Amino acid sequence: MTDALFLLVIVVGTALAFDFTNGFHDTANAMATTIATGALRPKAAVALSAVLNLVGAFLSIEVALTVSNKVVDIQGPDGAPLAALMGVPILTVVFAGLVGGILWNLLTWLLGLPSSSSHALFGGLIGSTIAALGLSGVKWAGVMKSVVIPAVAAPVVAGLVAAVGTWLIFRIVERVPEKRRNDGFRWGQIGSASLVSLAHGTNDAQKTMGVITLALIAYGSWTDTTAVPFWVKAACALAIAAGTYTGGWRIIRTLGKGLVEISPPQGMAAEAASAAIILSSSHLGMALSTTHVATGSILGTGVGRTGAEVRWAVAGRMALAWLITLPAAGAVGALCWFVANALGGLLGIGVVFALLVGASAWMYLHSKKSHVGHHNVNDEWVEVVLERAQAQAHRDIPQTLLDERPALIETPKNHSPHV
Amino acid sequence: MEILVESLKALWQVTLVGLLLGAGLPALFALGMRSLSTGRLDGPDGQHAPTSATTSPLARLVGYLCFGLVVAAALFGIVVIVFGKQLFG
Repeated sequence: MTDALFLLVIVVGTALAFDFTNGFHDTANAMATTIATGALRPKAAVALSAVLNLVGAFLSIEVALTVSNKVVDIQGPDGAPLAALMGVPILTVVFAGLVGGILWNLLTWLLGLPSSSSHALFGGLIGSTIAALGLSGVKWAGVMKSVVIPAVAAPVVAGLVAAVGTWLIFRIVERVPEKRRNDGFRWGQIGSASLVSLAHGTNDAQKTMGVITLALIAYGSWTDTTAVPFWVKAACALAIAAGTYTGGWRIIRTLGKGLVEISPPQGMAAEAASAAIILSSSHLGMALSTTHVATGSILGTGVGRTGAEVRWAVAGRMALAWLITLPAAGAVGALCWFVANALGGLLGIGVVFALLVGASAWMYLHSKKSHVGHHNVNDEWVEVVLERAQAQAHRDIPQTLLDERPALIETPKNHSPHV
Repeated sequence: MEILVESLKALWQVTLVGLLLGAGLPALFALGMRSLSTGRLDGPDGQHAPTSATTSPLARLVGYLCFGLVVAAALFGIVVIVFGKQLFG
């Protein structure tokens, strides 16, 4: 087996792993509100979302080969790799970038924070490109236009739309009996959340399909820049659906219970706002991240309902995570490229791959310490950080007791047997 | 600077479409529910009394029309997901 072929196999596997993390990281965007209000049981919600992601991925007819062209300069206008980078060089850049994206996705999942998978991938690619080609390999104007401005704008726009929607709904149904109202809006929630899932499958799986196709072209086993091999489409669809079904329960919990206490009318307002904005934004010249839109919408429903409590501290932690997504994933991407390049050949790639597997396993094992699953995803939200701060102020609880508790992810208070 | 102006222009449009569809459609859904609930009152035990007969035919028509429009918009959403690029570029 040549170095290039070995690298290709690793890149394809890593890309599918990224697609999987993309799926479970984003289940919450569509289904957190549906699960929180009891419109669907947790398992049913993730199953529905998985099926719709699968269908959505197969429905995609566009070839997203040029998606990374927005931020890095490693491909020509048609999506084919630049001649100078053909083969191992571009495969190494893509591989290191993917590792950066995956590790950031896993870390934010461990902390229970929603963060954009696309921005993590962009961050990783930007980092590895800087390492390989220097600062001039990055299209900084594109980074501004496709990453920075959308990240700031998405939650504001989505929040506004969802707040207006929530306010209108509560005015209109004021006199409708509560049970009837909630039952009706639960159906509305399921419908709008399904639309978000379908759009997610189409949009996000496309990106991984583009990355794998790029790798195949770089290796020389595919030449068509206007089509994706069927097996790539099928593999990406399955990976994102499997990820979605696994359910990033920690993130579902934060979005569904952590930000705002959500009632069915609010849930529908949030998902309808998300669906409308996600579907319209990409056609109006500014593609907004599903994660940022969904988070903004949920915040908006809290703002739009009179008397609702919004936990701004939780929102602040998310904003901080979004702010460092690009540099953090970029730093890992750059580091991986340096390691792979310094050791060279099979050894370099193997070592980086081992680092990826090791770090992933560590985070997975760490997550077991405060397990969040379908059984306790809806338990009452307790702000551990707040408690810790208060305890430190009073100094009446031994510090060692507090240190055993995770800092950011909230351990559910009561372990109810089933939701 | 050019990027900022361009972005603001795009954002303005996204906000308008978002308000129209993202807030308008749930409001229409709510209107449908209100129409189908007219004439129904909360019973003393919190349950609504089984008085569907008191919902006037007109109110029912308005209600179903609202739901119909919301469903049509959702179906249009699926069309956008699949054929968006061809339709809108």
